[in-house]
Amino acid sequence: MPKTYLRRFAILLLRAAIRIAPHDTLDWGNAMLNELSCMEGDWAALWWAIGGARVLTKHALLSIIIPGNHPRTVSGPGALFAKENSMRKATLSVIAACAAASFLFLLAPAFRQGFAVSQMQWHAMTTHSWPRSVSPALKTLEQQAEKTHDAEALAFVALRTPNQTESTRLADEAVQLDPKLVWLYATVAPKPSEAEDWIRKLEQWDPQNALPHFIEAENIDIAQALTGKVPQHTSDESPAWQNTMAAAFRSTKLDDYHDRLKALDRRVVAQHDFGDPYQVLEGECEPCWPSYLSSDASRYAKSMLESGEALEAHGDRKGALKKYLAVARFGQMMTPDGDFLMDRIFSLVVNRPLKENYQRLASLYQKQGENEQAELYALLARKAAQSEGDYRILARQEAAGDAVTRWNASLVEVSGLLMPFSAGLLLIWALAVIAKNKSLRLTALRASSGTLALGLSSAIGLLLSSAVLYVSYRPYAEIFQQFIRTGNDRRIPEFGEFLDYTQTPLGAHGLWNQADFVFYFWLRVSALCVLALLFVVIRHLAHHHRAATTT
Amino acid sequence: MKAPRISSQTLRVLEQFVERPSTWRYGYELSRETALKSGTLYPILMRLANYSLLETKWVTTHDGVPPRHTYRLTPKGLALARTSLGQSRSRRKSRQLALSGRET
Repeated sequence: MPKTYLRRFAILLLRAAIRIAPHDTLDWGNAMLNELSCMEGDWAALWWAIGGARVLTKHALLSIIIPGNHPRTVSGPGALFAKENSMRKATLSVIAACAAASFLFLLAPAFRQGFAVSQMQWHAMTTHSWPRSVSPALKTLEQQAEKTHDAEALAFVALRTPNQTESTRLADEAVQLDPKLVWLYATVAPKPSEAEDWIRKLEQWDPQNALPHFIEAENIDIAQALTGKVPQHTSDESPAWQNTMAAAFRSTKLDDYHDRLKALDRRVVAQHDFGDPYQVLEGECEPCWPSYLSSDASRYAKSMLESGEALEAHGDRKGALKKYLAVARFGQMMTPDGDFLMDRIFSLVVNRPLKENYQRLASLYQKQGENEQAELYALLARKAAQSEGDYRILARQEAAGDAVTRWNASLVEVSGLLMPFSAGLLLIWALAVIAKNKSLRLTALRASSGTLALGLSSAIGLLLSSAVLYVSYRPYAEIFQQFIRTGNDRRIPEFGEFLDYTQTPLGAHGLWNQADFVFYFWLRVSALCVLALLFVVIRHLAHHHRAATTT
Repeated sequence: MKAPRISSQTLRVLEQFVERPSTWRYGYELSRETALKSGTLYPILMRLANYSLLETKWVTTHDGVPPRHTYRLTPKGLALARTSLGQSRSRRKSRQLALSGRET
């Protein structure tokens, strides 16, 4: 009967199973193998071989786990790893294959990036200084950019340099090279001495934007906080603060230059192949607004409302309407796109005075008999009340974090710890085996059963941790790549959250969160299983040693 | 040594052996007659042999075909098979009677 590929495969499968089968099952293995030659139908032969291989493999595993289960085993219970057994060569091949497969993962850029991310937990444990030092990759980019006078790359570095003197110098250099980059003055934190000059330049360059005024108001707030002279009421604020807030409320737009920043980041990352997601997202996840913007806007809106109410009480409806309309116009300008958590928190702070303002406008227009306007503002007030509730729920949900993201981050952290451990153990093992045998040829290598078991465990550990790291990180690498390729930043907050978790050392966030508790529970169960397996292998080897000494 | 656990699949195998107790049987032949796959049949045969209820023998048939493993019940195996099959049949019969009694 001519042998087809299926039948050949069936024969190979059973032969492979016979190689690992205990000696007391060899007859049965050969019986199943020889029956193949009398079978009709290739598929029937294949199913026969699969069933047979399953039986033999089960017996092979049982002979390791329960020593003495196969008392007639010719070479004793330690046969699987014994030097004279064919499994010795097979075990060495499996170790080599696992190590090679693990190194193959390194060819995937997503894996390399994931590995770098998994090591950030060490960085968090070892770095305590502030401001943080610039990463070597960013330092290299800075040197290249200065050499080639690359304005955008300089701007990219300036946005991520924690040292204010250095970031000011880099931003100034970038703007000198390319005056279109003046918007950098709104996003880079300057030296205090440069702050005023930067605001003036920004105001000249983009006079309709409210952002420079908010930055100026923030500088006043910070100066007051530093001197301990913080006004109790908005009416006690300095004329400078009042003027700059009035200018902000008069502005026709609020542009935080996030789109320009995103486009610049994408260009620089693509051009310089800059693959550090931490550094790239440092300028991406937060809206580029001054920290005091929400509270300043809310306080000023409230003060406008109060002065409007006072004017209304004195019968000056026209003056009151002017105040209310200014707040309403500001509210429309500030309507967030809802992409970021910070936007929602901002909405939460500013929404209440806006809602009150719309209610005032509705009531004022009703008094004047302008029912259409009154209905419009009543509708806006209801919408503001509704969105306040929505934003509150969303902000609470996002602050609590996503369980899947946390789980993936924990998996990446565990794999990031296991990989170097297994690789180190495997390297030491390989060097020791090679040194002992004084040869690099696989066939010439000899190792004891215990040594082989250690090498096999390390190799399997390395392969498994590499695979888990790759599978867990792959979706995030895709989010990052999509952002660089297309500018789609819809899932960037999720990625940012993932990166935040991976910066926390493993085990540091497992006590108070239920999802983390589940993860650590299964981690402990897995660790106990590994220990149990180790115990079984040691018991198996000890039995083998006893058998060898008694014979 | 105590007797092995007699599952319904084991009973099917024993039934085949009892039909022609003196004939040596091939694995593939048994598989076809009992409709059991190799992954089920061989563990049963191995267990029966382990309890000395089954004897095995290698036979050479004709040129080109490798020697084949053949099986036959030992006298002890045959006795156990007859007892087990008898018990199984009587259990089946009493179940049928109980069912028909319930119907009437």
